[in-house]
Amino acid sequence: MRPEGQRDDKPIRKLKQLPARHIMASGTPMCAGCGGLEAINEAYDVLGENTIFVNAAGCMTLLSIYPYTPFRGSWLYTAMAAAPAGAQGVRDALDVLAAKGKLDRDEDLEVVVLTGDGSAYGMGLSATSGALERDLDFLYICYDNEGYGNTGHQYSGATPHAARTATSRGEHGFGGYKKDLFSIWAAHRPAYVATALAAEPLDLAKKVQKAKQLKGPRLILALSPCPTGWDFEPRDALEMGRLAVETGVWPLKEYVDGVVTHTKVPKTRLPVERYLGRQGRFRHLFEPERDTGQLDEIQARVDAYWDAIER
Amino acid sequence: MRRLLTGNGAAAWGARLAEVDYIPAFPITPQTEIIERLAEWVDRGELNGRLVTLDSEHSMITAAGAAAATGARVFTATSSQGLLYGMEMLYTVSGWRAPFVLANVSRGLASPLTLEPDHNDVLAARDSGFIQLHAATCQEVLDLTLLAYRIAEDRRVRLPVLVNLDGFYLSFTREPVELPEPEQVRRVLPPFEPSTLRFRASAPVSQAVAVLGGGPYSYFRYEMHLAATQALVAFQQAAEDFAQVFGRSYASVERYRCDDAQYAFVMMGSFATKAKEAVDRLRDEGEAVGLVRPRMVRPWPEEELRAALSGMRGVAVIDQNLSTGKGGVLHSELCSALYGQPDAPPVLTSFIGGLGGRDIDAAELFEILRVTKRAVETGERPPPRLLYTEHELKEMRKLQAIAAVEHPAEEEATP
Amino acid sequence: MKTASRILGTALFLDGFEVQDAPRYGAERRGAPIFAYVRADSREIHERGIIDRPDLVVVADDSLCQVPAAGVRLGLSAQTVVLIRSREDAATWRERLRVPGPMLVLPASSTDDDGGESLLGAECVGAAARLLGVVTRDSLKAATGQELERLPEEVRARNVRAALRVFDGHADHAGIVTGQPTLPLAAQEPPRWIDLQVESADVAAPTIHAGGTSVQVRTGLWRTMRPVVDHERCHRCHWMCALPCPDNALLVDDAGYPRVDLDHCKGCMICVAQCPFHVIHAVPEHEAQTAERAEAGDA
Repeated sequence: MRPEGQRDDKPIRKLKQLPARHIMASGTPMCAGCGGLEAINEAYDVLGENTIFVNAAGCMTLLSIYPYTPFRGSWLYTAMAAAPAGAQGVRDALDVLAAKGKLDRDEDLEVVVLTGDGSAYGMGLSATSGALERDLDFLYICYDNEGYGNTGHQYSGATPHAARTATSRGEHGFGGYKKDLFSIWAAHRPAYVATALAAEPLDLAKKVQKAKQLKGPRLILALSPCPTGWDFEPRDALEMGRLAVETGVWPLKEYVDGVVTHTKVPKTRLPVERYLGRQGRFRHLFEPERDTGQLDEIQARVDAYWDAIER
Repeated sequence: MRRLLTGNGAAAWGARLAEVDYIPAFPITPQTEIIERLAEWVDRGELNGRLVTLDSEHSMITAAGAAAATGARVFTATSSQGLLYGMEMLYTVSGWRAPFVLANVSRGLASPLTLEPDHNDVLAARDSGFIQLHAATCQEVLDLTLLAYRIAEDRRVRLPVLVNLDGFYLSFTREPVELPEPEQVRRVLPPFEPSTLRFRASAPVSQAVAVLGGGPYSYFRYEMHLAATQALVAFQQAAEDFAQVFGRSYASVERYRCDDAQYAFVMMGSFATKAKEAVDRLRDEGEAVGLVRPRMVRPWPEEELRAALSGMRGVAVIDQNLSTGKGGVLHSELCSALYGQPDAPPVLTSFIGGLGGRDIDAAELFEILRVTKRAVETGERPPPRLLYTEHELKEMRKLQAIAAVEHPAEEEATP
Repeated sequence: MKTASRILGTALFLDGFEVQDAPRYGAERRGAPIFAYVRADSREIHERGIIDRPDLVVVADDSLCQVPAAGVRLGLSAQTVVLIRSREDAATWRERLRVPGPMLVLPASSTDDDGGESLLGAECVGAAARLLGVVTRDSLKAATGQELERLPEEVRARNVRAALRVFDGHADHAGIVTGQPTLPLAAQEPPRWIDLQVESADVAAPTIHAGGTSVQVRTGLWRTMRPVVDHERCHRCHWMCALPCPDNALLVDDAGYPRVDLDHCKGCMICVAQCPFHVIHAVPEHEAQTAERAEAGDA
């Protein structure tokens, strides 16, 4: 139902093509150096103002606190488990009103769910799966900061193995393993699934643009280095994202028409400890003595992933 | 046109005649027939709207609120566990000031799990910000559904409205229902005009945003409360328009044979018609008794209730719900409306019954009146009565025996 | 500040007082202003929540005085002692804030005596404890250790040293905080309750009817370090620095040079880390402000 005019933006090929000024306004209460906010900034530029963000409880809920909002377009806060259902209601209402002649085509909006990993990997999964099976025409942007960031960074379904969080302060950190949300989405055979992060702005912009041009359920899963929750200096937020890619911890990839393609394959992967060693949440793997067992396991899992891809 | 319809059918017809744009749905007994009907009409093109089955009632109520916040006319329906599963969103979407209508087919709550009706589900939503209307007949289910849209969409109110119908006793029971013509309905129910609260590219809004601090929060919540109180006026005006077109008139509080009554039963929902039957028989015997039934439970029509009960000697409140550790919700609510009022009835007896579909028969209603009269005459206030008979306990004992329940009392008796 | 308030609370508790301490959280994140309060009494404390008539106000960072939400001046009376950690002197602050009572400054420096990064929380609590006059040195020491239990031994020890150094340095002002009598009932202003009227949902829904209103929030006040762009050496590759700025606070001018939006830059220094030619420098905010004032004075 969306006007086609929104869909034929000039293809993004170079960094220089990205706008010098973001459309999102300043003045948000996010932490200094927030990797999630960076990603949303970059995505919003491509999506444009004719967007409604449907939000679930998380850090970004605080973007819009009465009477302040950084968005030039629209926003609806729902609840932690409910954002895709909110998107369903908005999308359906816009479609029905348009079909009945109660809404001009140029009044239409791109419906975008915006949640953190707590909602995307956990509480909102039932609503997400429902939206996918109904082939809802929406984009889902998840800023994945690998924990319940808004409440002080307790472990979530997205927390990586061994990370220390506010609820895994023990000797070995978090005992579980990060859930593979990309594959969970892909198993539903939606229009588009992609991983991304702010540290690769061109890759992110291309993916958002591609997602915008498709119809149906689409996911941009953006790893969001979190200075507060991961314990590193805010200035290193981009560097942390880059290391996540270069160590192979965060593969950049996309799923279209049943095929998964890696959009950036590190030629020689850096050892994972280059990434882990920069973050306080993994400090116990290095101090007071090196936890070779855990480090080897994490490295082996990353290697196994890429071996399977490259085979 | 007059035809036989179940309560569920009447609710579905209410939505159809309101020409709703959107129906987010989720099946649950005893409500499912409503969405099945609507789905069929949408599929056949008889209802120009979209019906979507969500993954849960939580999602369903979210979608309903979101669509209403976008400017669509929305209908949805649930029951019991479903209403509670969506409870977070009941509070949430009313705070959005999203106007739509939700039919609740009331059913007792687990545990133990039951399919049969009582009012604990709908009363759990009492403080959610939804306006609540309670139907006693299938005709009322239809009429109140139409009136509900007038109230919900009223600029002074703009809150969602819950229309309650009792499971089984209404949901699956057919009665003659006068079905209005769509043309007539349009005369009392104009299209939804969402004003500035909607999503459009040309007028960006951020809805349902968070607040910081108790000051702004209190403003928004107080305004919701004040808006809810406006529903009394909105209901009255809509009912007047409705009466002009259809000849059926509705007040927020129904009074039945109350004019010279010294005593009254107070009840909600479909069992109140059983009380009407009892009133007729008691009147035949010369008892000055009537029935008072709030159709509107939120906002609570205090003035109307005070007026209806003013000067009576005794009032018997029959609650089909149980606030565990307290008693009947309706009884408490009525006490708060009457306390300290001049001419308030001095005696308000409390009876809890009809839980999980248990019947309340005429003999019980007669006895309820006797107990209430005795309280007035003796000046003694009986404790709340949980309606349960000797026979019921005996039957229960048989079930317990099969369930291999050992009674400690019997153990003690054994040397 | 939450930890500082807890250290003070614990110290008072160890000295036999009934105590209440609590932080006050807003929606804002790490780096955003925060306040915390401590109540102490010889009898059970019934009052709760924000202190409306403080006996002592400690401001850990003088930039907070510009933040209305921080409410530095809230409830100041002639008996309230105000202590500000600042590079400016007490007279300046007394005038600027129109402080009616005693006004003290805790000299701010970016390093402490050990040469390490300044521990402003510990310094503030050391001063506060001494100004109260009822906290013993031993309790302060014990409380600091206790509240920082989770930190590595060496960090904890530095904090203890900083707290005690400032405590010792404020002997002249020991007991300057005297407390104030409770107000008589007649002096208590009655609340001006109103009969709130119902307003249309177009007015009374929690809805913002415009975009981009957050620019009115001056997140620039969070900043302790400021990025300064050397435009002479700048290569104008703004996509390297302005693009990743999470706060959209590097504005690119018509000539392609990035300019820092000081009202909104939170000082994350991502741009400093990103600039491939190292022409964006991190300058302590107070130095930048001093330089600005000097420049303004010259002009």
